[in-house]
Amino acid sequence: MKRFIGKRAMASAISLVGLIVLVFFLSRLTGDPTDLYLPIDATQEMRDKFRELHGLNDPLIVQFGRYVWDLLHFDFGESIRQARPAMEVVLEGFRWTLTLAVITMTLVTVAAIVIGSLAAFKVGGVFDRITSFFSLIGASAPDFWIAIVGIVIFAVQLRWLPTSGTGTIWHWILPISVLFIRPFGLILQVVRGSMITALSSAYVKTAKAKGVPPRPIIFVHGLRNAMLPVITVIGDQAAGILNGAVVVETIFGFPGIGKLMIDAILQRDFAVILAAIMVSAVAIFIMNLLIDLAYAMLDPRIRY
Amino acid sequence: MSQTNTTTTPKERGRIGTFIRLLWADKFAFFAALFLLVVVLCAIFGPIWLSDEATRQNLRGRNAPPFELSRGFMYILGADQLGRPLLPRIIVAAQNTMAVAAGAVICSMIIGSALGLVAGYTRSRWSGAIMRLGDVIMSFPSLLLAVIVLYMLEPSVANIVLVLAITRIPIYLRTTRAEVLEVRERMFISAARVMGTSDRRIVFRHILPVVMPTLITIATLDFAFVMLAESSLSFLGIGIQPPEITWGLMVSQGRPYLTNAWWLSFWPGLAIILTTLSLNLLSAWMRIALDPVQRWRLEMGGRKNG
Amino acid sequence: MKTTLFGALLASTIMSGAAFAQDKTDVTIVLSEELELIDPCMSSQSNIGRVLLGNISETLTVYEPATATLKPLLAESWEETQPGTWRFKLRQGVKFSDGTDFKAQDVIHSLERTISDKMTCEVGGKYFGGFKINATKVDDFTIDITTDPAQPILPLLMSSLTIVPEETPLEMVQQPIGTGPYAMTERNIGTNIVLTQRADYWGDKPKVTKATYVFRDDSAVRAAMVEVGEADIAPVISELDATNPDMDFSYPNSETTYLRVDHATAPLNDRRVREAMNLAIDRDAFIGTLVGKDSAKATAVVPPTTLGYNKDLKPYPFDLERAKALLAEAKAAGVPVDQEILIVGRLGMFPNISEILEAMSQMLNDAGFNTKLEMKEVADYNTYYNRPFAEGRGPQLVAAQHDNAKGDPVFSMYFKYGTEGLQSGLVYPELDAEIAKATEASGDDRAALWSDVMKDIHENLIGDVEMFHMVGFSRVNPRLDFTPTISTNSELRLSEIGFK
Repeated sequence: MKRFIGKRAMASAISLVGLIVLVFFLSRLTGDPTDLYLPIDATQEMRDKFRELHGLNDPLIVQFGRYVWDLLHFDFGESIRQARPAMEVVLEGFRWTLTLAVITMTLVTVAAIVIGSLAAFKVGGVFDRITSFFSLIGASAPDFWIAIVGIVIFAVQLRWLPTSGTGTIWHWILPISVLFIRPFGLILQVVRGSMITALSSAYVKTAKAKGVPPRPIIFVHGLRNAMLPVITVIGDQAAGILNGAVVVETIFGFPGIGKLMIDAILQRDFAVILAAIMVSAVAIFIMNLLIDLAYAMLDPRIRY
Repeated sequence: MSQTNTTTTPKERGRIGTFIRLLWADKFAFFAALFLLVVVLCAIFGPIWLSDEATRQNLRGRNAPPFELSRGFMYILGADQLGRPLLPRIIVAAQNTMAVAAGAVICSMIIGSALGLVAGYTRSRWSGAIMRLGDVIMSFPSLLLAVIVLYMLEPSVANIVLVLAITRIPIYLRTTRAEVLEVRERMFISAARVMGTSDRRIVFRHILPVVMPTLITIATLDFAFVMLAESSLSFLGIGIQPPEITWGLMVSQGRPYLTNAWWLSFWPGLAIILTTLSLNLLSAWMRIALDPVQRWRLEMGGRKNG
Repeated sequence: MKTTLFGALLASTIMSGAAFAQDKTDVTIVLSEELELIDPCMSSQSNIGRVLLGNISETLTVYEPATATLKPLLAESWEETQPGTWRFKLRQGVKFSDGTDFKAQDVIHSLERTISDKMTCEVGGKYFGGFKINATKVDDFTIDITTDPAQPILPLLMSSLTIVPEETPLEMVQQPIGTGPYAMTERNIGTNIVLTQRADYWGDKPKVTKATYVFRDDSAVRAAMVEVGEADIAPVISELDATNPDMDFSYPNSETTYLRVDHATAPLNDRRVREAMNLAIDRDAFIGTLVGKDSAKATAVVPPTTLGYNKDLKPYPFDLERAKALLAEAKAAGVPVDQEILIVGRLGMFPNISEILEAMSQMLNDAGFNTKLEMKEVADYNTYYNRPFAEGRGPQLVAAQHDNAKGDPVFSMYFKYGTEGLQSGLVYPELDAEIAKATEASGDDRAALWSDVMKDIHENLIGDVEMFHMVGFSRVNPRLDFTPTISTNSELRLSEIGFK
């Protein structure tokens, strides 16, 4: 186990280096940020000054060397937009995003597994039809619809919840509900599908024949086998939120990493792009490692 | 598909008959199939038939509400922010929408599951490398990829498909691998291997059919995801741009009007939802219909429900 | 243990942020974007200016668009002692929020900092570029400012120079210090900024004691916040959300929209073609539909309150027949009118931009043009908008919006119409000479010369396809006594807010 984690950490570190190199050079293909930061009527002199100040005049390879050198000293560069250390900017946002992701995915996982298994237990039944129908609608509806309609109903009409912002636990209800819907629909479908397959497989039938009561069948035998793709999809959806729950962040005014990343990309704030990708990549690498460990735990036949 | 022509042999007709009978057995699936057929027809013929109606603007009749027949049938769903009738616009937009969504979903599914099969089945170095590549793609923000592509290439349907397909590869890759890891250890695979069956045969005849249902479930929902993701790309300047239209673009253009002219984004959004719903119902049906162990559900259920 | 720590981090995140209990004299203002920087030398950016100008930072002079006059603020008076040199008498007894006294040295440092090459200050780039400027101290409360070449509008320029203490370092500060009635007492990045009234302010005490600024991207959310009382002012909301006449105000926002025409390429180098374009656009159809109903058809790129604005100019009428005729005439003369003309727009530049351009493209095509619309992301757009333009480009129309709230056309004309102006599509040396002459003139002469320049551009050269002087919309809580004006676009003085 330890050897596996060690090897995996090495491989991930190599991928991270690859990712940094890739992002560093590719993002610089998207143009010079100078014009985006200076007033449109800035003089040429001022443009040169800006480039000089932010080291944009040097050849790309020199810029990269400098970046790596700084990185080795734990200096992640400075945000052009905010004139602050890029890593500081990113970590502030990441805290919010991580909280959103953890809460949402915990709720989604529990709800989708319970409801999905129940639905699979009687395929084509009323419960199955109804849950499938609503989860599919939720999963394919544009998220800003749900967000804006939610604000109009619960904040403006009923006045039960605050419109947006942060501060109390009430502020979190609408954003989490909006974020919940899409992964819930997808994971529910995957749970349901895998469970149907698992429940029709030979050994569950054997268990049934032996007279084990129905509910334990679902949750013990079926779930165990159905879990592998389910955890994978949970991981993918969690990565989606970690990479930025952009709509929720912009509409509800959550200072998360998604909005930060979009602005950084559009404004060519390279240091922030790189810092944000590093942070979310490390989070995603760790998550994928945990998923692989979970595979081995759930199915002892799987070895690495 | 149900079209018959004179050269059809009796045997084929028999097959189609069984197909329709099985489909009719599940009413939801039947109407889903019907709806998808309509969408496909719209995608093929819509632009030829209704292009002019869909682009004729009338600023003074903008945001005309739905369900008023005084302007003619074309305005039954209302008019958009430039006074263009929504119904023909949705029909014409089906083409681009389907091209982008189907293109991206199919490409990412094929590439992703192929890589996943390799990564799950072989224990070579490649397996690890493929997975780490998946990690890299997963952490590479799709927007950055979009902006890079926009900078180096022109925004076109093909390039949008490229961007969306790349970003969706990891989910298929990881899911396929997860399933393969489990299936690989099952009894019948071990048996096949002992009997000297070739790897290729094991993968295609034994493993792929087990993995497929989960992939299809994800793919049907990914359809919706891709249609909406495409609209957010358009919003940022890559992607389909006006005067071209897609459902996703219509949804995002209607966004500011959500509180006072809901129909602008509602109808195209509904089209996306219905398409996703239909695909999902149809795939659920297909999974039962194609599985000999489970087909009885339709054959029996058909009589019971029908 | 680790899990507990992790849990504690999540819990603290949930609870952190603003839980504000409001006093009656506190206000909450909801802005459309977070302030990335909060340095006073960046306050010509409207989102920064709205928080800083007149609240935290003050300037020597202040321009009042309503009356088109320049008023004293930190300077009590000024005069031109010799050509190119202005002497400013400074106000005494003024203190910065860090407790230091305001003196001549602070003005000199502020000016030097703004144009320093150690940092890129927006105020410096926008208002103090292209000429030499030098300030010298006469005594503690008198300074001389010399420019080369002479700037007749130097006192107006000084209304942009935010004054900071001489100790301010030559890098972007995160804690702005100024002489204004408020000081920043809290800043939670991503969440809010709090300004609190200073006890030692030199002037009259404003009624608002504390102001909290929060940020929401979505216009519908900003409007909803004021509606339910979570915020008091939303300075910018979309016209679509301005549905409540008791709370919503429209105001001219000093922005002018137009299509920039590339005069160097055929067929746009033909005057008939440009006239046909102007005649083909049904501007009235936009007003009250895609642009606010108080928007005005523009005849120049600067708003009507600007010095020398030519009131005799008439917008081009909608005349499809005449447009077609002109086009046919040009075609007969061998002008390649069938060539595809690219219309380039920038996403989000102004409300409804995609729809407006789509409609304009259609109108031009109806008159017989062959236009194609492309919406671009900002960095990509800039490559079309700014000189140098690409070699071998086809004919292009670039949708643009220009903001000049400073009252003098000098901030617009050369950039927009000079042969080498950064965003100019025009190439006429005679016009360059006219602009240069007006730039150096002062008094009534100046106004008359600018009037001529505008007439030339609009009537003789048909410089561009002028669109509208735009309006903005604000939502204000009825408990406040506050009416947005043309300056709400760039500043929001808390001292102008009262309570009912």
